[in-house]
Amino acid sequence: MSVRRPFEYIGEAIRAGFDWAGGISLLLGRSLIRGVQRPWGIYDVFSQIVALGIRSLPLSTLMGVFVGMALTWQFGEALMGFGAKNAVGSAAALALVRELVPTLMALTIGAKIATGVTAELGSMKVSEQIDAIASLGADPIKKLVWPRLVASTVTLPLLNIYGNVLALIGGAFIADLVFDVPAEYFYETYIDELYPMDYISGLVKSFTFGLLVGLIGCYQGFQTKFGTEAVGISTTNTVVATSVAIIVFDFVLTTIFLPVG
Amino acid sequence: MAPIIELRNVYKRFGDNIIYEDMSFAVEAGETFTIIGGSGMGKSVCLKLMIGLLPYEAGHVLYRGKEVGEMDAENLRELRRNVAMVFQGGALFDSMSVFDNVTYALREHTKMSDQEMLERARECLDMVGLGYDKDILYRMPASLSGGMRKRAALARSIAIKPEVILYDEPTTGLDPANIERIGHMIRKLQKELGVTSIVVTHDMPIAWNCSNRVAMLWQRKFPYIGTPAEIQANPAPEVHEFINGIYHEDQD
Repeated sequence: MSVRRPFEYIGEAIRAGFDWAGGISLLLGRSLIRGVQRPWGIYDVFSQIVALGIRSLPLSTLMGVFVGMALTWQFGEALMGFGAKNAVGSAAALALVRELVPTLMALTIGAKIATGVTAELGSMKVSEQIDAIASLGADPIKKLVWPRLVASTVTLPLLNIYGNVLALIGGAFIADLVFDVPAEYFYETYIDELYPMDYISGLVKSFTFGLLVGLIGCYQGFQTKFGTEAVGISTTNTVVATSVAIIVFDFVLTTIFLPVG
Repeated sequence: MAPIIELRNVYKRFGDNIIYEDMSFAVEAGETFTIIGGSGMGKSVCLKLMIGLLPYEAGHVLYRGKEVGEMDAENLRELRRNVAMVFQGGALFDSMSVFDNVTYALREHTKMSDQEMLERARECLDMVGLGYDKDILYRMPASLSGGMRKRAALARSIAIKPEVILYDEPTTGLDPANIERIGHMIRKLQKELGVTSIVVTHDMPIAWNCSNRVAMLWQRKFPYIGTPAEIQANPAPEVHEFINGIYHEDQD
């Protein structure tokens, strides 16, 4: 009996993982099928872009500037040891554009968006508002999931572009102030180091993260059980699932893009 | 005449918790059918089965002879155009004004103009006793009291003029005057528009005064179905004790 139990736990965990992945895939499939049917719900999509995107601007601003400053400082310190502090722009560019800005943006802004969506939909589920939408003859996936999915998928790449610009500004500021590397020179070496594929890989990552964030947020919201405590549990699960998904997909996309870049 | 809604040998469970076992009853068009029974026994589940909000493991749930569990999206949409539900807590959409809530189904199913929807919304709010507040249409649900939310939800369900209305505890949390108002409204909808009502309630006066028939849920079935007088006269101890609110200390 005692030997069997750990295997039972492992088996249950694997089954729960497959159930979760299956449920998420099913939700994505249903959303895509119903989302592209008329009416397109353009107003709902735009109001979600405003709700998820515009409200994330302050945090994105902080994220972009401080990541740019911190990373440039780190690289600057390391490069000074080799007498190569002028290369700080080139060194920071790839790490920021390809990796740090899209990933950190997804881990912070993405988690914020996903938990917000889960809390909102979870509360709607608990108070039977999702059932009410269905009972009035509307489709909850079309009305609730599709606009949030599109909005998060569009919003994260846009915030990624915004974050990249701010990271560059933050980096130039530190390069000039701390390492005496002129901001103009930092900018030139930074831009020279980047090829179109670097921008594309960053954007593909943030597009994928946006899709994951919207999907996980909606799925967990719809899976909320009964009572207000369940909303808290769903929201916590969303943070964990979103973080794990972003980290795993970041690695997968990096392996896909690195040989190309 | 064929019943408008029929549940035949239905089996429903949530995990290990069996809600219905071989449960059957039928509701005739135009009647007010009230479901009573202890809390947590699954009375609301019954309503959700009727409009396809919950699946069932076995048996038949029929709306005008059509199996609800086998309906595609379009048929379900049509079913829900004709069968409205009033949820226990109201389930008003928090992000929308009362006007947008009340006219939600009209926007989904009709091509009414804004002016027509406004008139319809006012008419429905008058029916549920909220017409006195001229600003109510533009208020958000969060600013309404519990009773007002419930009545606004009732207005939302009648706006589309459905042929069947499912009420999930429509009077819980209302003051006596508003309980009487809801009872009057159920009777009026039946008398003037021929609306079929299926009411889940713990409110015995509503059950006796509004219903053509009353069904009591007991041990996963509806073994007691009859007119209010028949149910009141039923000698079964569980019926007698439930409708008279008799409590035994040894039940704790």
